[in-house]
Amino acid sequence: MSLLEVRNLKKYFPIKSGVLRRTTGHVFAVDDISFSVEKGETLGLVGESGCGKSTTGRAVLRLTEATGGSVTFDGTDVMAATRTEMQRLRRDMQIIFQDPYASLNPRKRVKHIIGEPLVIHDIGTEDERRRRVFELLETVGLSAEHAERYPHEFSGGQRQRIGVARALALHPRLIICDEPVSALDVSIRAQIINLLEDLQQEMELTYVFIAHDLSVVKHLSDRVAVMYLGKIVETSDSKLLYDVPQHPYTEALLSAVPIPDPETERARRRIILEGDVPSPANPPKGCVFHPRCQRAQEICTTAMPTLARTGEAGERHEVACYFPTRYEDGKRSVAETPFEGALLGAVASAHHSPD
Amino acid sequence: MAERLLEVKDLSTHFFTHVGVVKAVNGVSFTLDRQETLGIVGESGSGKTVAALSLMRLIPDPPGKIVAGDILLGGRDLRALSEEEMRGVRGNDIAMIFQDPMTSLNPVFKIGSQIAEAIMLHQDKSKGEAWDMAAALLARVGIPDARKRVNQYPFEFSGGMRQRAMIAMAISCNPDVLIADEPTTALDVTIQAQIIDVMREMQAQFHSGVILITHDLGVVAEIADKVMVMYGGRTVEYGPVDEVYYNPHHPYTWGLLGSLPRLDLAEKHRLEPIKGQPPDLLLLPPGCPFSGRCGFERPECRDRWPAHEVVGAEHGVHCWIPNDERLETRAGLPRFKEWVA
Repeated sequence: MSLLEVRNLKKYFPIKSGVLRRTTGHVFAVDDISFSVEKGETLGLVGESGCGKSTTGRAVLRLTEATGGSVTFDGTDVMAATRTEMQRLRRDMQIIFQDPYASLNPRKRVKHIIGEPLVIHDIGTEDERRRRVFELLETVGLSAEHAERYPHEFSGGQRQRIGVARALALHPRLIICDEPVSALDVSIRAQIINLLEDLQQEMELTYVFIAHDLSVVKHLSDRVAVMYLGKIVETSDSKLLYDVPQHPYTEALLSAVPIPDPETERARRRIILEGDVPSPANPPKGCVFHPRCQRAQEICTTAMPTLARTGEAGERHEVACYFPTRYEDGKRSVAETPFEGALLGAVASAHHSPD
Repeated sequence: MAERLLEVKDLSTHFFTHVGVVKAVNGVSFTLDRQETLGIVGESGSGKTVAALSLMRLIPDPPGKIVAGDILLGGRDLRALSEEEMRGVRGNDIAMIFQDPMTSLNPVFKIGSQIAEAIMLHQDKSKGEAWDMAAALLARVGIPDARKRVNQYPFEFSGGMRQRAMIAMAISCNPDVLIADEPTTALDVTIQAQIIDVMREMQAQFHSGVILITHDLGVVAEIADKVMVMYGGRTVEYGPVDEVYYNPHHPYTWGLLGSLPRLDLAEKHRLEPIKGQPPDLLLLPPGCPFSGRCGFERPECRDRWPAHEVVGAEHGVHCWIPNDERLETRAGLPRFKEWVA
C-alpha cells in the first residue's frame, strides 16, 4: 500500500465580487488530480506558476481545505480526521516552505522555532527538548551555538536549514517540500539538495517535492508528475522523463529548460509555446492544454483526456493526451489515432462530472 | 575583425556606507564586440548588477562611486562625460532591460506612451510618429494586436508580455549595447524560452552587442559567446563559453558547474556543492574573495589578489594555484573526470 494516496483532489477558490461579496466564479486551482507516493520515495510535482502544485501540497496537509476528493495517509483518511486526529497526523506529515525569510518568525530565537513543534505536541521535558534542538541543529549542518540566535543573523541557506530542522523535529514520515531551494543561490541550493537526500536516506523519509525547476525536480525525484492548469498531464519515472516524454506540454517544458552545456545546447531543438497559460478561473473546455497545443484536434476541445497508463510494461508512466508521442526503436512519432486509455476515461469522467 | 563596441578596464565601484566600504566591483575588465553576447554570471552579491549599472552610470551617488577604471564606448570614455551628455548615451547607445518588468514600467502610463517617450527623447520624431513606431516595435517583439496593445497599461500585460515591452523600449533607439539584467529570472521557463528567442532575433536584426547578467549557467550556455564569472566583486574567470565550461580553471567555476543538476543525464549523480556561506562583502579578505570556501587554498590566497593569467585563447583566470597543479586537481574532481582526457 502506498504511504500517501490522493484521489480526485479538487480545490476551487471562490471569486467574490460586488458589495454583497457574492461568489461569481471559481479559480480551479487543483482540478481532479490523483497520485500516490510509496514509502521512501520522492514524488516531484512540477509545473509553472499557477498550475496548482503548491495548492496540492497544502490541500494534502489540510492547510487549506480541499473542495473534494480524498487523501489517505498510511491507511488513515486525512480528509475525515477530527481536530485531534489531525494533530496526531501532523506529526507524521510536515512541510518545508519556499521562502526561508518569511517562514521563520523573526522575533523568536532559533531554539524556539525548532522546539515549537515539540512544545505543541507536548513531547519531552524542557531539558530533553533542548537536547533534541541541539541534535536537530547538528543533523542539518548547523551547530548548538546557533540555538540562541535570531533568524536575521543567518544567510538564506542557513535559514532553510533551520526550516528543515523544524520539519524534522517530530520525526515525520512524509515531508512536503514546497519550492525549498528556489530562493537560494546555485552553490547553496546544491548543499540543501544534498542535505535533503542524506536525510531521506538516514530517516527513511518520503518526500513530495514541489518546484518549478525541472532539473532540480528530476534530480531529487524517483517519479515526476507534471501539472498544467490544475491537472496532472503526465507522470513518469524520472529516469524516463527526459528521454521519452509523451505529453506535448512535458516536451515543451523539457525543451525550454536550458542545459549548462554549450555543445548540448547548440544541438537542441527548442519547442517554443505560443502565448501564455490561460487563467485558472476560466480554463479552456476540453483538454486544458489544447489552445497552446500544436497537435490539438477537434476531440481535444470536447473533454479532458484522462491520465492513463502508457509506455512499456513495468514502467510507471501515465499520460493525459489523446495524441501522445510514441517511441519505437528510438524513433519518435505522434499517435495518429486517439490514445484509447485517455479516450475511455474521458468519456467516463464526462459522464460523472456534475458541471 | 569584429567591431569593438565596449571596452571596460579595471572598473571599480565602491559603496561608502556607514558601516564600511563595500567593494561591490573591484578591478573588473571585459570587452564586447558587435553582435557578440557576453554572459556575466555569479551569485547574489557578486557585483554583476553593479558592474552593469556602472556602465550606465546609474550608480546612486552617495553612497556609491565609480572609483577607478575606464569605460570606453566606441572609444569614448563614459566616465568623462557630463551628466547631460550621459543622458544622450543612455537609451541611445546603451540600453538596459531589468529583471522585474513590473517595477521598471510606470503603472500609470500606457505602454505606448512609455515607449514613445524614449523615442521622442532621442530621435527627432513627432508624437504620432513615435506612437506608430511603438506599435511597430511591439509587433516586432511578438506582441499580438500591437495596435490595440499600445493603448493598454502595464497591469493589462502578463509577465512575459511586459518583458517583451521592455525589450521593445530598449531597442527603440537601436542601441549598440544592450544590457539585460536577469531578464528571465522572474518568468516561467516556457516564457523564458520565448523571451530568449525574441532577444536573439532582435540582436540579429539590430546587430547589437548584448551583455546578459544571470545566475543561470544554462541560459549562458544557450546564448552567450563568452562568459565572465564573478565572485565577491572580482572577475575570477573570463573566456569563450566553451573554454569556461569545458576547460574551467578557477575553483569557483568548478564549484558552480558541480552544483548543477543536469536534466539531460539519465543517471543520477551526486551534486558537489561549494562549502560554506556567501561572503560578507564588508569583510572581504584583501586577496581572493573565494578563499575560505575554496578548498584548494594556499597561504598567499587570503592576502594578495592573483594577477590575470592567460590559460587559453582569450581565456584568463585569477588564481594562485599553478596551472599544472590546477589541471591535476581538476582532473581529480568527480565532475571533471569525463572532460579532461
